[in-house]
Amino acid sequence: MSQNKYRAKRIFLLICLLPLLTGCWDSREIEQRATVLAIGIDKAGPGAEEREAEVSHEKGDISIPEENMIEITVQIAIPGRIPLGPQVGAGEKKPVLVVHVVGHTIEDAIYNLQQEIADEIFLGHLRLIVLSEEVAKEGVKRFNDYLRRNPEIRRTASMVVSKEKASKYMEASPELERVPSLYLAEMVDSLVDLGKFPESFIGKFWSIFSSEGQDGYLPYFHIRGKKTIQINGLAYFHGDKMVGKTNPQEIGSFMAGIGAEKGGYPIFTDIPGNKKEIALVQAVKRKTRIKASLKNGKPHVLVKVRYEAKVSEKESPNVKIKKEEDIRALERGFSNAGQRSLSDLIAKTQKAKSDIFGFGEYFRAQFPEYWKQNVETEEGWGNIYENLSYDVEVDTYIRHSGMKDK
Amino acid sequence: MEDLREITTLQATTILISTIIGVGVLPLPLFAVRAGETGAPLVTLFGIGIAAIGLFIITKLGIRHPSKTIITYSEEILGKWLGKVCSIFVIIFFTILTALAAREFGTVVTTSVLIETPLDVTVIVMLVLAAISARNNINVFAYIHNFYVPIILAPVLIVVAVSLKNANILYLRPLIGSDFKEMFFGALTVAALFQGSFIMTLIIPAMKQPKKAMKASIWAILISGGLYLLLVIATVAVFGTEEIKQLFWPTLELARTTSLPGNILQRLDIVFLSVWVTAVFTTIFASYYLTIYSIKQFFRLQDHKMLSYFILPFVYILAMLPEDIFQMYEIIRYVGRIGLSITILYPLFLLILDVLKSKRRKHSESKQV
Repeated sequence: MSQNKYRAKRIFLLICLLPLLTGCWDSREIEQRATVLAIGIDKAGPGAEEREAEVSHEKGDISIPEENMIEITVQIAIPGRIPLGPQVGAGEKKPVLVVHVVGHTIEDAIYNLQQEIADEIFLGHLRLIVLSEEVAKEGVKRFNDYLRRNPEIRRTASMVVSKEKASKYMEASPELERVPSLYLAEMVDSLVDLGKFPESFIGKFWSIFSSEGQDGYLPYFHIRGKKTIQINGLAYFHGDKMVGKTNPQEIGSFMAGIGAEKGGYPIFTDIPGNKKEIALVQAVKRKTRIKASLKNGKPHVLVKVRYEAKVSEKESPNVKIKKEEDIRALERGFSNAGQRSLSDLIAKTQKAKSDIFGFGEYFRAQFPEYWKQNVETEEGWGNIYENLSYDVEVDTYIRHSGMKDK
Repeated sequence: MEDLREITTLQATTILISTIIGVGVLPLPLFAVRAGETGAPLVTLFGIGIAAIGLFIITKLGIRHPSKTIITYSEEILGKWLGKVCSIFVIIFFTILTALAAREFGTVVTTSVLIETPLDVTVIVMLVLAAISARNNINVFAYIHNFYVPIILAPVLIVVAVSLKNANILYLRPLIGSDFKEMFFGALTVAALFQGSFIMTLIIPAMKQPKKAMKASIWAILISGGLYLLLVIATVAVFGTEEIKQLFWPTLELARTTSLPGNILQRLDIVFLSVWVTAVFTTIFASYYLTIYSIKQFFRLQDHKMLSYFILPFVYILAMLPEDIFQMYEIIRYVGRIGLSITILYPLFLLILDVLKSKRRKHSESKQV
């Protein structure tokens, strides 16, 4: 009798559990998702307000003026067309769909986008955000809130600034990879691996942006010809606004300034005693020490860079690199060039009050009293940075010169 | 029915560790940074110190009364009625603590991963799980904790180790970031995250060698405190204090920013979250167990199994009371600080009284001789 009762109880419990078998609330099949791989953000042209659908607000019913409206271009992966490895004859169909929408803010634009797309927009695989230079110059603060708040967006996504309109990058079709945005994202990652650019994912950019003694920097892209995209320099910010860009060579100097270990940029170096002849010397590794000090209450930094380099090319057959002195001379030449280039870059960023090297952080960390009295806010540090005195010392060690004697 | 004395010192340590490490790991760096700016690690260290003192007091009391818990020996020390009144506070406090932990868990899960899932479901699932597990006796309780500890510790250490490649040591300086008053209150908030260690009062009566309880306590606070400190150092070094202030759960963001080298896993937050669910479960399980076991002893019942389901609705309703995440954290901070008087000051008071009483007893005994 009691056993029967027990069994009845058990069966009842099992029946109660049945509804749970339908699965969880958040299950979405992959083909029901519109997976956004990349977003490009541009300024919307005139008349954008007219073009915008009334999704999140009615026309004119919003405090953001039309001039601040943005146009976003997204690349959405088409299910089944993303190749999962090397495929032969994968078909000519484009693996991604490119859509343009306008909006007052990012989320506003995303809502407008959702109105046009059947599947739920999914940002979990967002790899790349391209900001056009125009937008970056007006400030990126307004985008940060959404990107931080949305739990789907990865902090490891990349953010880059583009010379052209960002929408062009969404439509570009580089040949090396079937999915354009993945190619761009890979490009950023592998350039970091090659020592061509310091780590600059979006989370890092935010941390730097939030910190009081440093200004942000992002890779600066430029389309060359029709198909190739070049990393054309480094966009530097003051506060949340882009204030300038460097040339590619200066990225190397910048990396020396922040102490990135891996070197990747070559410098043409004069061969001493032979003014017209040059050799190409490439940095391999570097070690940077930054010493912040207060001289009579004035901040001063000493940047000491120690390069390990290699000779990668010598142009003329007339000169020879065969003796130890030649190498020493090349080292001196490289050091001078590196010193000059880094000093120039510091001077250049000082004009824009943009401390991308984070010297301010050294003062905040090491002289908290000074910091409290004189700086306190980032605006304050920018003004001090403008007149910061600095010394740059560069040492070079050339360890190898390739397979060739002479 | 008296439980067999089967819990080893190692098991006691692991119970403490897995009970202490819980929901608190996610907002911990935020609490510490709010109070101490760049001095966050120091705040955490203070907090660990305060928590350690509390744990040592409760252990000491337990060793002096090796077959009783705080519910029973308080009656002996304070007298029957006063002891009972204090015990009611202990029980209520741990009921609230269980509820808040379940709620915090539900909030994190529904905001970060399972966005469409109703909050009630995540909270109920966790509470039911705890209620079912809490029907077991204390030995099974010990096995469960013992089993989960490596799973909880290892991934957190991996996340910390891998994330350090993005660290900037400058973010940790100056070591003293704000004034001492703020740091002290911050330390209290941090110490409140360790309140699960009160479970020690329940373990000692079931330990093989209650004398070794102190050893277990020291190891537990060293390991769990060390882990907390590491987490704070890592998050501050990676994000900087200003960025942390903008994030609810810096530790979770740390896992989101970290990828295993070689693109094995591009983000670790899913791995981290699944581990964290385990950690939260062991914490809620322990405080739930403590609650019903205390009620059992309070009413001198034979068995705690039935109670397990009986208090479930109460805990659930308490869990659903906070209106939103801001109110929830407000309550958590508030309850945590009040709780310190229950988990530290009250035992301290008991210990002092107990020592005085036994001294007087000895004194009068020696007089009689």
